[in-house]
Amino acid sequence: MPITEAHAGRRYPPCDPYQVSAAKITEFVTALGDDNPRYRGESPMAPPTFAAVISAQAWDQLFSDPELELSLGRIVHGDQRFTFMRPLHAGDVVVATVTIDKVRVRSGSELISATVDIASRDGEPVCTAQATLAHSRKAAA
Amino acid sequence: MKATVVDGVEVGTTLPVVAVRFTRERLVRYAGASTDFNPIHYSEHFAKQVGLPGVIAHGMLTMGAALRVVTNWVGDPSRVISYAVRFTRPVLVPDDADGVEVEFSGSVSAIDGSLVTVSIEAISDGRKVLGAARAEVDLGVRVPHRDREP
Repeated sequence: MPITEAHAGRRYPPCDPYQVSAAKITEFVTALGDDNPRYRGESPMAPPTFAAVISAQAWDQLFSDPELELSLGRIVHGDQRFTFMRPLHAGDVVVATVTIDKVRVRSGSELISATVDIASRDGEPVCTAQATLAHSRKAAA
Repeated sequence: MKATVVDGVEVGTTLPVVAVRFTRERLVRYAGASTDFNPIHYSEHFAKQVGLPGVIAHGMLTMGAALRVVTNWVGDPSRVISYAVRFTRPVLVPDDADGVEVEFSGSVSAIDGSLVTVSIEAISDGRKVLGAARAEVDLGVRVPHRDREP
């Protein structure tokens, strides 16, 4: 039984704590071609969309949930919204928790709205990442 | 709340354009950096199998590159308090040395006190690839979240 509307509201257990590292920030901003000096140096800030790295970790829980029958290769990103409560810096340790907000089943595809809550280990909110993911059941005609 | 000017910024103020060349190399770098290893971003064979015209860029790569319009302008990226986009058209990245250029532009679309909303446009191959792309930045005096003196 693949993902259905009934999965709305499902909240997964928190992911393992994620430690932001200067090396990962450098890789990320190099990929973006972004030379903002705030992302370099001794205590670099992570760029705002670095939250995607942490979200990806949480989304993996959806893709590896056998009940949902989702396949990463059949996912296309529909929309994304980030709300930032505070910036992330190298050395920060955060925990991501994903919740399925809404599922819309179309013929041969599903639209999945999910929210990743990123917080400090003490539970202080850092970022909310809301996404809509389109999952195709079979190759488009 | 005055909805007119913040530090010389007005609704309609345009931000400097940022152009980023998307090549297969950049996609591979972004895949590794972001840990998004969806094969539609590196395998032509796989992309076509799932109905795409070819290898496409990660939406999050486009989103992240687009925000450079805003962060270049404000300097301090921690002023960005929200950012949202819709991925309306995939960015096709050919397997050649040139790839495809994506051009990002932005303009101030709303001001509410120190909060400034920037609307962003992303054009690839003559077409818009992002919809409703908006970042909200706080240009007011800010208290740092924590002491980060070296």
